Amino acid sequence: MAPETGEMRKRTFVVTRFDPDKDQVPKTQTYEVACRPDWKVLDALNHIKDEIDPTLSHRWSCRMAVCGSCGMNVNGEPKLTCKTQLADYGEVVEVEPLANFPIVRDLVIEMDGFMEKFKSVKPWVIVAKEKAAEEGPNRQSPEELSAFKQFSMCINCMLCYAACPVVAKEPHFLGPAAIALGHRYNMDSRDEGAAERNEVFRGEGTVFHCSYANECTEVCPKNVDPAAAINQAKLNAVVDWAASFVVKRNG
Amino acid sequence: MKTLLLRLEPVIWLLFGAGILLGTLLLPGYLLAVTLGAPLGLLPDGAMSYERAYTLASHPIGRVLLLALIALPLWKGAHHVRALLADWLGHGPDPVIGSLLYAIAAAGSLAGIYAVLTL
Repeated sequence: MAPETGEMRKRTFVVTRFDPDKDQVPKTQTYEVACRPDWKVLDALNHIKDEIDPTLSHRWSCRMAVCGSCGMNVNGEPKLTCKTQLADYGEVVEVEPLANFPIVRDLVIEMDGFMEKFKSVKPWVIVAKEKAAEEGPNRQSPEELSAFKQFSMCINCMLCYAACPVVAKEPHFLGPAAIALGHRYNMDSRDEGAAERNEVFRGEGTVFHCSYANECTEVCPKNVDPAAAINQAKLNAVVDWAASFVVKRNG
Repeated sequence: MKTLLLRLEPVIWLLFGAGILLGTLLLPGYLLAVTLGAPLGLLPDGAMSYERAYTLASHPIGRVLLLALIALPLWKGAHHVRALLADWLGHGPDPVIGSLLYAIAAAGSLAGIYAVLTL
């Protein structure tokens, strides 16, 4: 808990509530909370849960913007609540579950579809033939690392999915984080699976659905810049598609 | 139609990308010269004379450039309008609207090909 310094400030939290056993549609509940000046939104939610209403459900874990669990829409914008200062908000703070996901309960969203999309881009190093241990480690220069390092900083917080206007309307779209992750492996000098992933990128959830809104990059708390990954992935998918007419592929 | 459109996405994106490049770099210069430079007399004497323009346009490279100036921005426009409509109308990337817009771009491109071939 944050240290007790400075003046407490009273705020009204309008929080989405949804009990799948009782409710047809989500409703809101209002909580008056005296907040410490250095509180994050998550501190207030934990206070509500601990001191006011133990039935409130929300996800969180590390409290240091690493685990990616506590993403929620705060005043309509996708935010990591552990990183979002209450001082930047007024008297009334609206907390909703991340947009574009089914709600499990209150502020907890269903992640299954997201995880399926993640798996579909084969986020691991694919090699045609495994190296024997005696052949030594795979080497990678700092330049080779810099080609994808930024895209590997994603913490799977799903804020980009909540912000993306295409995810909102096209349920098959792979979405920013999954494309950035697939692209991260395509750019990895140790990987040989780009052709497989590019096929996924041109498939039903195609990268070409992206409409250049750039919202994913705007909301990303780790500066991954998924929009850049998507546009690089588009170009690579086109080059790979053109090359497929010239170079015969196995499988 | 949806599957066909999906298969054609790489080609469409390529034409769109080329349209952006051309639309951003060449088209403004071309329009500036034709719509402002010429009427205001900012161009050298005879620069926009019929003979000169015809010689430039009827050269093989001139024909290709002219076709690119006509066709590629159409693809850029079609792709952008498709994304814009998807946002405005509140649905996903619609295959019917997409096909219609790309058909317009394709028709414009074919007209462009006819025009540069029969100059």
